Amino acid sequence: MSTYIVRRTLQAIPLLLILSVMLFALVRMAPGGPLAQAERNPNITQEQIERLRERLGLNQPFYVQYIKWARTIVLEGDLGDSIKSGREVSVMIGERIPNTLLLVGVAFLLTLCVAIPLGALSARKQYSLLDYVVTTFTFAGQSVPIYWLGLMAVLTFYVWIDNPFTGKPLFPAGGMYSIGSDKGLGDLLWHMVMPVGTLSLAWIAWYSRFFRASMLDVLNADYMRTARAKGLSEGRVLYIHALRNAVMPLVTMIALDFPSLFAGALFVETIFSWPGMGRLFWEAARGRDYPVLLGVILINAGLIVVANILADILYGVIDPRVQYD
Amino acid sequence: MTEAALDNYEATSLTQLTLRRFFRHRMALLSIGVLALVIFSALFAPLSPYGPTEQNPSNDLMPPSLDHWFGTDDLGRDVFTRTLYGGRISIIVGLAATGLSLLVGVVVGALAGYFGGWLDNLLMRITDAFLSLPSLFVLILISTVLRDMPNSAMRNSVWIVVVVIAVLSWMWPARLIRGAFLSMRHHEFVIAAESVGVGDWRIMLRHILPNSVGLIIVQATLSVGSAIIIESGLSYLGFGVQPPTPSWGNLLATAQVYALRAPWLMIFPGLMIFITTMSVNHIGDGLRDAFDPFSVR
Amino acid sequence: MNRSKRSTIFVTLLLALVLAISACAAPPPQQATGGESAAQSDSGGQVVLIIPEEPATLNQYLADAAIVRQVADATTAGLSLVDQNGDFQPVLAETIPSIADGTVSEDFLTVTWKLRPGLLWSDGTPITSDDMKFTWEAISNPDSGAVLSNNFEKITSIDTPDDLTAIVHYSEVNSAYPMQFAYGLLPRHATGEPTEMEKWEWNRAPVTAGAFVVSEWNSGDSIVMDRNPNYYLDGQPYLDRLIFKVVPDPGAQMAMMIQGEGQVHLWPGATKEDYDVQIEGEGQLQEVPGQWNMALRFNLSQPFDDDPGATPPHPILGDLKVRQALAHAIDYDTIINDVNPGVSPATSPFAYGWYRCDIPRTYTFDQDKANALLEEAGWVLGDDGIRVASGAANAEDGTRLSLQMEGYTNFQPLVKLEEAIVEMWKAVGVEATIQNDDFSIIFGSLADGAPRKTGNFDILIYDSSLSIDPQATIAGLFHSSAIPSADNPAGSNYSRWVNADADAAIDLAGSTVDVPTRQAAYCDLAQLIDDELPQLHLYLFTEGYGATDKLSGYAVSIWGSLTWDAQNWKLSQ
Repeated sequence: MSTYIVRRTLQAIPLLLILSVMLFALVRMAPGGPLAQAERNPNITQEQIERLRERLGLNQPFYVQYIKWARTIVLEGDLGDSIKSGREVSVMIGERIPNTLLLVGVAFLLTLCVAIPLGALSARKQYSLLDYVVTTFTFAGQSVPIYWLGLMAVLTFYVWIDNPFTGKPLFPAGGMYSIGSDKGLGDLLWHMVMPVGTLSLAWIAWYSRFFRASMLDVLNADYMRTARAKGLSEGRVLYIHALRNAVMPLVTMIALDFPSLFAGALFVETIFSWPGMGRLFWEAARGRDYPVLLGVILINAGLIVVANILADILYGVIDPRVQYD
Repeated sequence: MTEAALDNYEATSLTQLTLRRFFRHRMALLSIGVLALVIFSALFAPLSPYGPTEQNPSNDLMPPSLDHWFGTDDLGRDVFTRTLYGGRISIIVGLAATGLSLLVGVVVGALAGYFGGWLDNLLMRITDAFLSLPSLFVLILISTVLRDMPNSAMRNSVWIVVVVIAVLSWMWPARLIRGAFLSMRHHEFVIAAESVGVGDWRIMLRHILPNSVGLIIVQATLSVGSAIIIESGLSYLGFGVQPPTPSWGNLLATAQVYALRAPWLMIFPGLMIFITTMSVNHIGDGLRDAFDPFSVR
Repeated sequence: MNRSKRSTIFVTLLLALVLAISACAAPPPQQATGGESAAQSDSGGQVVLIIPEEPATLNQYLADAAIVRQVADATTAGLSLVDQNGDFQPVLAETIPSIADGTVSEDFLTVTWKLRPGLLWSDGTPITSDDMKFTWEAISNPDSGAVLSNNFEKITSIDTPDDLTAIVHYSEVNSAYPMQFAYGLLPRHATGEPTEMEKWEWNRAPVTAGAFVVSEWNSGDSIVMDRNPNYYLDGQPYLDRLIFKVVPDPGAQMAMMIQGEGQVHLWPGATKEDYDVQIEGEGQLQEVPGQWNMALRFNLSQPFDDDPGATPPHPILGDLKVRQALAHAIDYDTIINDVNPGVSPATSPFAYGWYRCDIPRTYTFDQDKANALLEEAGWVLGDDGIRVASGAANAEDGTRLSLQMEGYTNFQPLVKLEEAIVEMWKAVGVEATIQNDDFSIIFGSLADGAPRKTGNFDILIYDSSLSIDPQATIAGLFHSSAIPSADNPAGSNYSRWVNADADAAIDLAGSTVDVPTRQAAYCDLAQLIDDELPQLHLYLFTEGYGATDKLSGYAVSIWGSLTWDAQNWKLSQ
């Protein structure tokens, strides 16, 4: 098992390298540049801009820029400095990653806690009223743009409905903590309700549908009939055999979905002013702050690779038949 | 596993069976009705007394009234009319993007799943790469490349959005179809066909593909809904269908600015997206169950 | 070289005049225009300012983005500033140096600044003339990465005979010398090596002379500033704390204003009419007189021909008659009164400042004339109401009269304007589409493939501004030698306009120090532009910020930022 992990990790290195070339090319080929704001400022001269371009090395050929960038990462473990703020990219990402992981992590846990029982239940009682209700509810979350859902939540629970006891808004409009608070856990949780809720609502839909489908597959499989025929109790059949087998495809699904989970976070972070990675990416993308942008994308790509390896390992934990050779 | 081979020869009865199963899905039936209503209203949009871009700036941001059922927007345009016309664009985007992404996805998935080996490896690694590329940059890149084509139809933002959505979403059908081809590759009926000398392409087109139609249709229905949602997301970021052409997505994105001044601007297009996507998803769900031979209980 | 030097001497003389007048005047009364004057209590309290994006730095010399100054001014105090009336006022300096009192030499090459006595940095260290010297050393260092050079490179040396006096020696005349230290001083003891400027800790937690000091910076979320106990004005700032809260979504911003959680709202992107209805009873939009001139820029050259140069002509817009028709088809009154109410009309690039030139619009709203001109130019109505070429000058017969307008994204007032123009042009058989781009694309450089630089566009629509001496900008925009190309990537004649009379007018304006001559030359140019239409000027855009009624003591200024007078703000309970 440990040799398997080592091998997979080693395999990931060339993959990341190729990916880094592709990402670099993509980001640099996309039109637009980091000096657009300066071009629009009448107090900054064209000479100043040209000097800055040279200083940033933007006038060098792509491959020179790439090698310079890649070498600093590999040899010094340094993602470089932001063009806009001069801060270290790793520090900037370090500030934001915990916030996004907190948001996405809690939302994801909530999603699984709701989606798996819902999916299992509605598979068990296919075409029952319960199934229809669950199906309709879960589709609802998937059928609206997430930013619309978010803003409707702000309007409803921040502007239109007040807390009947205090007369203040029921939930805050955004941010992680109240303005000027001492950043307590309670305050954090209160601020998480709406963004986590919005994010989960969209995901629960997808995962419970998916789980319902794989549950149906499993319930109709031959070995389930065998298990029933052997006289095992229905509960045991359902919860031990069926659940375990139905979770397998879910694990793959989660690993595959990993990047899009962060993409969804962009909208939620924007609506709810959540200081996360998604917004860092979007701001860096709009300003073409190349080092920050590449840093965020690279970290994200790394996370995807790790997620894939984790998924494979989890397979083994869930299904002992899987062999690592 | 001979039933599968038999199914292939009893096409009519299978279709009947599938239809029968589908009609048992009550939500799906209801959804077809709702969707038909949405499509009809979009088709008959020109019956509205207002034009989709007809402006009256001194009559802006009016709440819903008898004259303007959904109110007016920031240039005094009738939101009801724009929502109907927006439906045309959104539905077209949804269908076209789905078609394009399925076309690419089916070809890639079929080749990878059928031939396997290095081709499978190559195609699947490309698929992985697309899955991990930052979609935002892919879309900026594509839209500018398309726009730089002089005097082409591609300078119309609707088609740019269609291509962008397809490029961002062909990977899921590709994986799905590959899985289907991979599993059917070793079914008896394929091996039998091979042994009597039927060519690879013929087997793929005549034998495996028809057996995957159910899967493809289900995937197609579900992606129409998601394409409509993606289009609205693109609009929010400023990359969607460009004004003044209305789409549900850009109506919604613009309404965001006036969320408190004129909430009706975001409620009605939002509801249309909701209703449409919801119906499409229910239909897809019904189809999935209908095509799944095990779902008869 | 000689030419530009002479023109700077002229500007200097002009400035000297202004200064002589303002120096004679008594110290300015604190003008409070916002709200009713608050009770004489010592205010206190905190104000939450909603900002749409986070500033990357608070070091104004490093900043290219507009947001930086809006925030950084709260923590900045320079030697001088320009007040809301356009006059220079001393801040940390005792007076603005002038020829009258001998602190500026007759040749304008030596300027003596005197600091007020007893000034302290926010960390309690005295502010000395050596800090002025250090500021010059740091900014003029070519490796500092400073983008706002502010003429520091023209300084040859700074003498500091005592802690309060700095004698600045220039190599050439700096017409903007009163503004030399207006963007704040850099403390030698609390910053670092000039070559490391981009990485200074100071950039995010400046030791400052300004009204407020950064006490907390929560990345991506908020910047908290507390009052500077060592601020030079006794008893000021009145407020205890400013909190800049980053809220990217416009809907969420508005919601926070309505609920009273935010007191100030930067750049709401709504007209005053729309805004005030929303936060009725809470506050209103304060309009800052705009210097952003909204204009259409027509591409007179063929796009997408891999040639950014002026020839061959644009198939549609290359014909003056078509441009005239487009101008005639726009209903200017509707735009100014209904589409974007609150803006003021502008007909030329010279809409404010000493070079202001108001000319009547050559082509006023007249659909009949527009139609007639298009017919005359060989564009006849097609079946679907859109004109097609039939004997047009530069287009093959059958070409559709279809044009694309490009602006920037995420700014609703611009979108409204574009949509209104599309509809107005449709009425005369012209089809226009809109393609809005990311900021970094539309204002990118030639190397980035920006459409305006490569010439691959039909019509650009955005706002731009002029500085106190417009010569360089104007020459860039309208001189035939400034068409962008690989050899001249800095050129900004985006319309690819070649006009000998215009070149002559621009050259004349740049070759003299005589005010009336320059004004006349600019006015001639304005008339040429309005006649020949490389650009069509629409209006001056008004910036603004929302402010709660509880806030008072502030003044809006065309020259200032949101927080330029934060030390005067008061909050009533």
